Amino acid sequence: MKYEEAIKRLEEIVTEIEEGKLDMDRIGDSLKEARELIKLCKDKLYETDEEIKKILEADE
Amino acid sequence: MNAITLQELNGRVKSTLQFEMPDAYWVQAEISGINPSSQGHCYLELVQKDTTGKTFLAKAKANVWRNTWLKMKPYFEAETGETLKVGMKVLLQVNVTFHEVYGYSLVVQDIDPTYTMGDMARRRKEILDQLAKDGVIGLNRELEIPLLPHRIAVISSATAAGYGDFRNQLAGNAYGFRFYVKLFQAAMQGDDVERSVIAALDAIAARRDMFDLVVIIRGGGAVSELSCFDSYDLAYNIANFPLPVITGIGHERDDTVADVVAHTKVKTPTAAAEFIINRVFDTAQVLETLGRRLGDSVAERMNAEKLRLERIAQKLPSLFAILKVRHEQMLENVWNRSVTGVRNILTSRTHRLEILEKSVAAADPALILKRGFTLTRLNGHVVRSASDLKPGDRLTTVLADGSVESEII
Repeated sequence: MKYEEAIKRLEEIVTEIEEGKLDMDRIGDSLKEARELIKLCKDKLYETDEEIKKILEADE
Repeated sequence: MNAITLQELNGRVKSTLQFEMPDAYWVQAEISGINPSSQGHCYLELVQKDTTGKTFLAKAKANVWRNTWLKMKPYFEAETGETLKVGMKVLLQVNVTFHEVYGYSLVVQDIDPTYTMGDMARRRKEILDQLAKDGVIGLNRELEIPLLPHRIAVISSATAAGYGDFRNQLAGNAYGFRFYVKLFQAAMQGDDVERSVIAALDAIAARRDMFDLVVIIRGGGAVSELSCFDSYDLAYNIANFPLPVITGIGHERDDTVADVVAHTKVKTPTAAAEFIINRVFDTAQVLETLGRRLGDSVAERMNAEKLRLERIAQKLPSLFAILKVRHEQMLENVWNRSVTGVRNILTSRTHRLEILEKSVAAADPALILKRGFTLTRLNGHVVRSASDLKPGDRLTTVLADGSVESEII
């Protein structure tokens, strides 16, 4: 998933919880998804993406 | 015939000129040649062209002697940020001279850089007007920089200190953000700038999915020579470029045409790195905030649920108590009714017994006899009807206080 998409989806989830639209069962799943999205974004920010590195270096 | 030598003739021309035009003149001209000498002088060739730019209207050599040149060159460069070069329009203060051998030439005393800058600005404006007319001038600025701009294509010369600074700043940023930088080499000074930068842009465009941004940078260094970035073709390319272009070609002066059409202009390669790091920082902040909102909202939701459960739980004992009381009442009612019922039954039964007793008592023959009735028996059987009797029957009549024998006659 791309960073922008992840942030957008994260915003959706947080808004849903804030507006009380989710019942208790679905909150568990949404929380899990949100955590995964946050990790994805943090990795893109702070971890080196070997894929990107490879693509840029390979092209000479 | 009054012949004179050539030297004399030229000498007379020289004197006449000296006498008639001793003053210095400010003259507008275009530089068509510029030759510094090893001795420190500078030999210029000046022209004036007509409006089509094809025909020469005037020409002259101009000498800038060493002393003058040593002052004039840095002065001009400091003021304009440009070096004197062919094609430039200049305003020079000159003396006219004629030399018997070398002929007519100008001796340059001074230069007015404002005139040149004015001319450069005029040319820039012309190009910008044309770009505006072509409808491209704002295109690159309309592009959105992605939320996470971490893949960067750099156009610079590898030797430029600027590129090294830029790379290092990104690699060593205080927040730990990761960046991916690739260099596309081009000349940042001289005559090849336009061609090589456009070629680099083309190379990047062919790989646009690999990058988020383009940065054109060159080091601060000595003289800026930015006029190469006033090219129409280069600007047209930048304006139409599919990725946002940041120019950090370094200057505090008026923007070059390239600066105007680029998405963002920054002053130095360092500023370019800062710009990018700040964008990523803002994005990281957004993420932090979302994380916080998530935590807060879930905690609140949990709390609300907990309260709800507690409220229900609190109600339960009283509900239960109510139920208990009701239940007890119900039981009591049932008990009371049962007891009453039983009593009633017993009472009615007793009553009946009494009635039965009375009836039985009332049915006692002794009572009947006492009332005056008699009981007649014939041979031990009770006589109920007179027709059962015939004369000669011996009857026993029972009375209340005894019995009597009789015979029917």
